[in-house]
Amino acid sequence: MLAELGFIATFLAFLAALYAAGMAFYSVRVRDDRLLLSARNAALATFPLLTISLGALLVALLSEQYQIAYVWNVTDPNTPTFFRLTALWGAQAGSLLFWSGIMSAFAFGALLLNWQGQRRLMPYVILYTMLTLAFFLSLSLFFENPFERYWIMPDNSVVKSVFALGGAVPPASVRLAETANGLNPLLRHFGMIVHPPLLYMGFVGFIIPFAFAMAALASGDLSTNWLKATRRWTLLAWVSLSLGLVLGGRWAYDVLGWGGWWGWDPVENAAFLPWLLGTAFLHSVIIQEKRGMFKVWNMFLMLGTFSAVIFGTFATRSGLVDSVHSFARSQIGFPLFFFWFGMTSVSVGLLLWRWRRGELRDERRLNGWLSRESLFVLNNIVFVMLFIAIFWGSFGAPIFSELVMGTTITLGKDYFLQVTPPLFLALFVLMGVAPLSAWGVTSLRRLGKALIVPTVLAALIVGLLALTQPAEPLALLIYGVIALSGTVALWETVRGAAARHRSLGEGWYTAFTALVARNRRRYGGYLIHLSIAILGIGALGSELYQQETQRTLAVGQSLELGGYVMRYDGFLGGQVAEDGRIMDIAQVTVLRDGREIAQLRPRRDFYPNAQGMNTMTIPSAHSTLENDFYVLLVDWETISARSATFKVFINPLINLIWWGALLLVIGTIIGMYPEDRPALATAKAAQPSQLAGAKA
Amino acid sequence: MTELRMAEDLQVERAPSKRGANFLIVLAAAILASMALIFGLGLRHQQRTQPTEGAAPLFTLKTLNGEEIALESLRGKVVVLNFWASWCGPCRDEAAELEAAWQQYKDKGVVFLGIAYTDTERNAQAYLKEYGITYPNGLDYQTRISALYRISGVPETFIIDRDGQISEFVMMPLKRPQLSAMIERALAKGAQP
Amino acid sequence: MKNLLRIALSLLVIGVALSAVTLSAYAQDDPRRPVTDDEVNAVSKKLYCPVCENITLDTCGTLACAQWREEVRLLLSEGNTPEQVIENFVARFGDRVVGTPVDPTLRALSLVTPWLLSGLVLLGTAIIFLRWRKEGGAPTPKASAAQPSASASVRSLETYRARIEADLAARR
Repeated sequence: MLAELGFIATFLAFLAALYAAGMAFYSVRVRDDRLLLSARNAALATFPLLTISLGALLVALLSEQYQIAYVWNVTDPNTPTFFRLTALWGAQAGSLLFWSGIMSAFAFGALLLNWQGQRRLMPYVILYTMLTLAFFLSLSLFFENPFERYWIMPDNSVVKSVFALGGAVPPASVRLAETANGLNPLLRHFGMIVHPPLLYMGFVGFIIPFAFAMAALASGDLSTNWLKATRRWTLLAWVSLSLGLVLGGRWAYDVLGWGGWWGWDPVENAAFLPWLLGTAFLHSVIIQEKRGMFKVWNMFLMLGTFSAVIFGTFATRSGLVDSVHSFARSQIGFPLFFFWFGMTSVSVGLLLWRWRRGELRDERRLNGWLSRESLFVLNNIVFVMLFIAIFWGSFGAPIFSELVMGTTITLGKDYFLQVTPPLFLALFVLMGVAPLSAWGVTSLRRLGKALIVPTVLAALIVGLLALTQPAEPLALLIYGVIALSGTVALWETVRGAAARHRSLGEGWYTAFTALVARNRRRYGGYLIHLSIAILGIGALGSELYQQETQRTLAVGQSLELGGYVMRYDGFLGGQVAEDGRIMDIAQVTVLRDGREIAQLRPRRDFYPNAQGMNTMTIPSAHSTLENDFYVLLVDWETISARSATFKVFINPLINLIWWGALLLVIGTIIGMYPEDRPALATAKAAQPSQLAGAKA
Repeated sequence: MTELRMAEDLQVERAPSKRGANFLIVLAAAILASMALIFGLGLRHQQRTQPTEGAAPLFTLKTLNGEEIALESLRGKVVVLNFWASWCGPCRDEAAELEAAWQQYKDKGVVFLGIAYTDTERNAQAYLKEYGITYPNGLDYQTRISALYRISGVPETFIIDRDGQISEFVMMPLKRPQLSAMIERALAKGAQP
Repeated sequence: MKNLLRIALSLLVIGVALSAVTLSAYAQDDPRRPVTDDEVNAVSKKLYCPVCENITLDTCGTLACAQWREEVRLLLSEGNTPEQVIENFVARFGDRVVGTPVDPTLRALSLVTPWLLSGLVLLGTAIIFLRWRKEGGAPTPKASAAQPSASASVRSLETYRARIEADLAARR
């Protein structure tokens, strides 16, 4: 029943998406608004339909319908309810459907919210979102169907099919429950409830700005309309992706047990690549809005961002690269590849066509080399260079080498830490200088003057770091550059508030809130700069000054690392958890300056039923802002557990990464927060009149 | 019509130079095409699985005893090519079975070759000693042979017939009866020496 | 010149002395000196085993990797330096076991290409800017800043209106 319901709803959504795309296109040809409305309604319908099919899958997971192959594959009778929910995206088939569901939700929102304002772009927005959705739904329907069930045929063979074939009977439910696989141990973590949805939202969310960009190119409305309509959508996608990336790092830190949070794995990089282009885009659109420049470039960045999204999806779901994160190999590789290629060719082709016709000509030229525009250009170049370096390392070189030279190579952290640091540093330098420069031209003198206070503040931060952290002069210098990019943002905000306070006589609080309210975008952006600086200091500190040691301790013995003492107290072997896993837990006490500060329980989880990787080394950590004392249980004497081997890390400043991410979300919310009512009302009043002309 | 011409005039005035535009379009197409080529071929390369028929890829194995055995030199004999590793549990299940089959067939025009995947001399030697394996075994230096046969794990076994064609491929630990049957099938194929 | 020579000579002497010291340190060592886990991990951190894709040897949990770590320990205990251990692994298992290939061609391919591509991007931007400056007839910065934009927006308004008219004409 559930399988049929889910399948039919998915199929209807697929038809609706195709209908919407076709009808939207046709409505432009024949200029009929009623057809366009029909297209819109079909597009809107995909969201409730996919909600039904996702709901059916969820109910099937919760009510243990093991006849459904997907349910059998990702849950077993021991799976707790919480992980039954997250099992929705626990494997390829479910996560693809979930992906389509999010995409239809984004399309639903954009069609409702931007319908009135952007009538001219809408047919094409429907066309491009629905074509993409239809493609992903076709994957769910024809390649990775989450609603397929097991059937036993009259000749005793087992087949997978949604509907009962002639003479087929369902397998005995007891047998199914007994043999069920259970969720991949790697995914049994609290972070898994938020990390994949956020990452998918970040990926999928870029479809809205992409579709608007394509709509602008297709319709010929090449003004800043598409940018204005999608600013918040872009920010929403961007912040989801940012948070998804950091939470993915947090998950790796908590579950994978290698003491770090970013491993430069191709799959991680695949998610980072669209972030780089998306961030470059967020910056360079400001120039188009303010100065009418870089129209082609902005289009290109947006098309590139979405192309990178699809490429990342292709690379991680097809088995193009091997990675801990990648999905099992499947048939969807070539369909995804052709979709990526087709989508990129069409969008680049459309852009070049408009450009060749001279319709994307800039209104201004660059003047001074120190103007804000040129600094933004530099920022964009650095982002693109980072993109190239990371893309090459993750996908270019390994595949090229294997194909052409016949040698398999690994490009690991080693490569990325040789190539990317100068570029990251350049970004932080630009982040520090650009907000202080003016549009048009800036003099060095003016710039120098504006840098005085931020430099002093940054020096204070560096001093603080020098006192509390291990650091060499070069590292301190880099800390300083990163800190400066944050203090500039901070000081600019304070300076703005002070000016209001002085000239308007407002109280400090009023001055501050009024300042932010007047230009939420700028001050939200500054807060994001600050958060990135904090994140950057955390990433640098934890990378450069990580300490580690591995020792075998007898009960009662201790080891020392970086001012901490860790004592091995005892061992709890063979603890069976609720979900059937067996835990071996070591108990240790952490001391500092002779005082006991924490009891930690690093452990090894064993999943008897899981296929493939069935043990997980779960760390335990004592966290302070200064550093994390992070303990892994590596090994122990099997029978007596008299002694155990521990790997201990000190990760300096790593908590700044998580705090920075939190601040980043707040900054984005400020930047996205709707303008004051009156402004909105006038905008609404202004736009229909324009349309009236177009429609009449 | 007039408006249209006006619009075109404007475009002519504002359009980028023809040569520059064409150059950029060709460049973009070239970049896109080469990326598509690399990733399309890369995907095909990744998706290729173990060969189950056709000519067996040629290689030369340096055995742990220092001999060099070229696959080509074994034409006219049936070759049982077994990939294994000392760290692999299932390989240990089949080790004794393989040796027993070798004893049975070694004088009947059949050659066994063991190839240790990502193994070290020490561990491999200890493993061979433990199971009393006497047929030639060697390490797969630089995982070249494994790459040729596109193995996805160990143990995996290929049976190559007298003409150097792959006769059968198995992805699981073997039992003697199954292995014997496979060897007999391969012996029946191809020209008698 | 004389000074320089003296400095060079003394540096040479110091170098020889130092290497003698390290050599003697090695010579004094027992051929099978005990190796700590930290030493093994330090080397393993730079190695990747084909069984664990993209995970360094020190954190990979498979039996294959455990055996490789033992091999690292053995090689170290036999007096190999960490560099020698890594070379040994590369020789036996190929370039895939290190984070950046050792083979000069592959290494160059990996490390130089991104900079080469980045250089092309930079070159492209530079060309575009230079052309802009030339094409623009070097307009005086301040005056031109406002003017072209105004005329451009008027023009785009005109084209926009023209398009609407065309649309209307087509509908009638």
